[in-house]
Amino acid sequence: MDASITGPGLPVEIGRIDKELGKLWESADGTKTRASLINLVIYTEDPGSLEENTNLIAAIAGKHACRAILILADPGASGSGASAWISAHCRFSGKGENQICSEQITFRLDGGAAAALPNIVFSHLDSDLPLCLWWRAPFREPLDSELWSWIDRLIFDSSSWAEPLGQFALVKRIDQLAESHAILCDLNWARLHSWRVSLANLFDHPAALAILGRIDSLCITSAPAFRTTAFLLAGWLAAQLRWKLLPDEHCFECADRRRIAFNSAESAGEGISLVELCCADACFHLAREAGFFRATLRAPGVPESEFTLPASPEDVTDTLLGELGRGGRHPLYAKSLEAMLPLMRFRRDSF
Amino acid sequence: MPPSTPLQPVNPLKEGLANRAAPEPCSLVIFGASGDLTHRKLIPALYNLAADGALPAAISVVGFARREKTDASFRAELEASVRKFSRQAVSDAAWTGFASALCYHRSEFDNLAGYESLARRLDELDAVRGTCGNRLFYLAASPDQFGVILENLRLSGLNRGREGGWARVIVEKPFGTDLPSARCLNDLVEGAFPEKDTYRIDHYLGKETAQNIMVLRFANALFEAMWNARYIDHVQITASEPLGVEGRAGYYEKAGALRDMVQNHLLQLLCLTAMEPPAGLDADSIRDEKVKVLRSLRPITGDDVFRHVVRGQYGAGAIDGKRVAAYRDEQNIPPESHTETYVALEVSVDNWRWAGVPFFVRVGKRLPKAATEIAVHFKSVPPVLFKATGEAVDDNVLVIRIQPDEGVSLRMSAKMPGASLRIEPVKMDFRYGTSFGKATPEAYERLLLDAMSGDPTLFARRDEVEEAWKFVDAIREAWQSRSDDIAFYSSGTWGPKEADEMLKRHGAKWRRC
Repeated sequence: MDASITGPGLPVEIGRIDKELGKLWESADGTKTRASLINLVIYTEDPGSLEENTNLIAAIAGKHACRAILILADPGASGSGASAWISAHCRFSGKGENQICSEQITFRLDGGAAAALPNIVFSHLDSDLPLCLWWRAPFREPLDSELWSWIDRLIFDSSSWAEPLGQFALVKRIDQLAESHAILCDLNWARLHSWRVSLANLFDHPAALAILGRIDSLCITSAPAFRTTAFLLAGWLAAQLRWKLLPDEHCFECADRRRIAFNSAESAGEGISLVELCCADACFHLAREAGFFRATLRAPGVPESEFTLPASPEDVTDTLLGELGRGGRHPLYAKSLEAMLPLMRFRRDSF
Repeated sequence: MPPSTPLQPVNPLKEGLANRAAPEPCSLVIFGASGDLTHRKLIPALYNLAADGALPAAISVVGFARREKTDASFRAELEASVRKFSRQAVSDAAWTGFASALCYHRSEFDNLAGYESLARRLDELDAVRGTCGNRLFYLAASPDQFGVILENLRLSGLNRGREGGWARVIVEKPFGTDLPSARCLNDLVEGAFPEKDTYRIDHYLGKETAQNIMVLRFANALFEAMWNARYIDHVQITASEPLGVEGRAGYYEKAGALRDMVQNHLLQLLCLTAMEPPAGLDADSIRDEKVKVLRSLRPITGDDVFRHVVRGQYGAGAIDGKRVAAYRDEQNIPPESHTETYVALEVSVDNWRWAGVPFFVRVGKRLPKAATEIAVHFKSVPPVLFKATGEAVDDNVLVIRIQPDEGVSLRMSAKMPGASLRIEPVKMDFRYGTSFGKATPEAYERLLLDAMSGDPTLFARRDEVEEAWKFVDAIREAWQSRSDDIAFYSSGTWGPKEADEMLKRHGAKWRRC
């Protein structure tokens, strides 16, 4: 690990973290209140991400009080060592009189110490609160069933994976571990939430809804780094509209044997920028612009041709906050994944 | 839960987008579109829903009022209101998208032709915006206009959805001024809309903490097991505010605290506190249980009223260090007024669970602070173990704060650190604002969404309203027989001493909120 990295906050001995946190609050002048709804553990192996992750925690703690544990691991480091820091993120409450604070404990685990991850996590949790683990690194064999069995929400971002097919397979295995009850939260899926809401809204008009059953082409334009996002959206549409993939024909097919061509295009920028659903006499475009969606409809019986719809920010902080705020399980994610994975396998070269 | 309209095809892309029923495309017509409620609450609530992506794209909002306005001028005045009253900052893009759904329809409330032209306009909106023939009418006008509006909705056929769509009506409080007028209003509503399509709005039920009462009770074995006469000594429900009559003299002088607050908001809170677990979370299962509570209330009649109810009126005093006038010296209040600005009741719920547990309910104006809360006072531990030490042990109190500072706290006893045995009360406190940084949605947002989704759970049913009036009317009847019982209290205090005496008889005292 890069020796120049220093942890944020007050350096502490690992065995004295609880005591030092206690002191931190004792030294507060009574205007600070500690709050916590969840344990948010972020695991990363990116040595340059300490500041980014700390900023993320600060932003999240401002809306969703938590005990944050940031773990920066370097399993491949030659030496073995562990060090820790503590800090607090405070915000003023409604009337600005008191500050509401969330704690952050930062660990740096080098070499063999990285194997102590479950112990590090378990010994510093705020007891009885849900454990959300945000895994910001590639999943690897062997899977530590002890660790995964205690996770309530496993957060990851499939758009960041270099080898999505292999990673999805590992996530599936984690999900199937006997003791695992973790809810899988793919931020790539969470990022699609406002796309899904807006696409559904395009078909509010009865005349538009009638056309949904005649769609014969789907095109999704996304930034190169967000191809899995585009495929996940295609998977959702396929699952909801009961389209099946015909690998040899490069298209989907629905129950009435109608074929639906699927194209993915690339554009500069971030995320998905355009979704087009068309048939011979109609076309529905949904384009993302700054802060909103622009819907353009050309369809018989649908008089309104252009309107705007709200779009949630897609940056990682807002996406995670949206996910934590909505909570719940994601049964449609599993269905969408099932529809998407054959498509990804078929277009393996794209990933 | 909410009834879906089988004639309308289902949009498969809407599945699973939220863990609640999706609001359906519709036209929302607001009667009284120039009024305060529309500007301060309804339109900002609708804007916030739109900005959060919670509204269907196929929606139109039609303001119906007497004043001459164009769609553009109506939108411009609503934009100013939204910028002033919205709970979140207004984004130009979100406003532009939302504003395209707004339009204005000018008509007198008693002019049938105005409703017929409204019907044509709604048909056009169906075609243009895809609102599917669904209509939601919001009676935000003065209650004396409700009758004529409902009658004209019926005569113009607007009380029925178009082409498989639905028609619903939201009735704003007050739901009458006594039982006969409530029945009359309910009959009027029923003449135009069936009960299943009638949504009587009590915004208290849309508040997060009011909804949390059921979760707290029925999702926590700890509390529900102790939620009965065996463990609970008494319950206090308080709604206090430092404000005076504030320009509502005409209305308030006729209504008084009992009708303005107790008949609706406070009895609803009492029902949520006292009800049995419902068979399910559907609207009627919950409302059935609430009605059972209302039917179990021991009527307070005749001379009992003067033992179990205290009515008061504020005199001059000080609020936040400033002198304030007595109620009788307020503008447009008669100097001999007997209208109660404070009322405290001792309510008995005569059923198996609550036998012998008094529910003390109080509401008042010009009290020291704004607070609405339910305080559940548990029985004392047997005075055995700590008696010898001379230490008093306070009772456990569970407080559900409805507003402001929404949350839940539990008072319990703890040993003070040190060699001697000293027992002090400590408080465990959960605050929504502390744990959740994001703004809580306004009650109207939730309720409007529910009405669009066909979920009447948080709205009052006819029998609920009428049972509540029956209880309240008996008290008013006794009050009408005399006027010497009104107790005066200084503004800025916690109400008349007679109310304190009422609790003292039970060995209790009002909580300092």
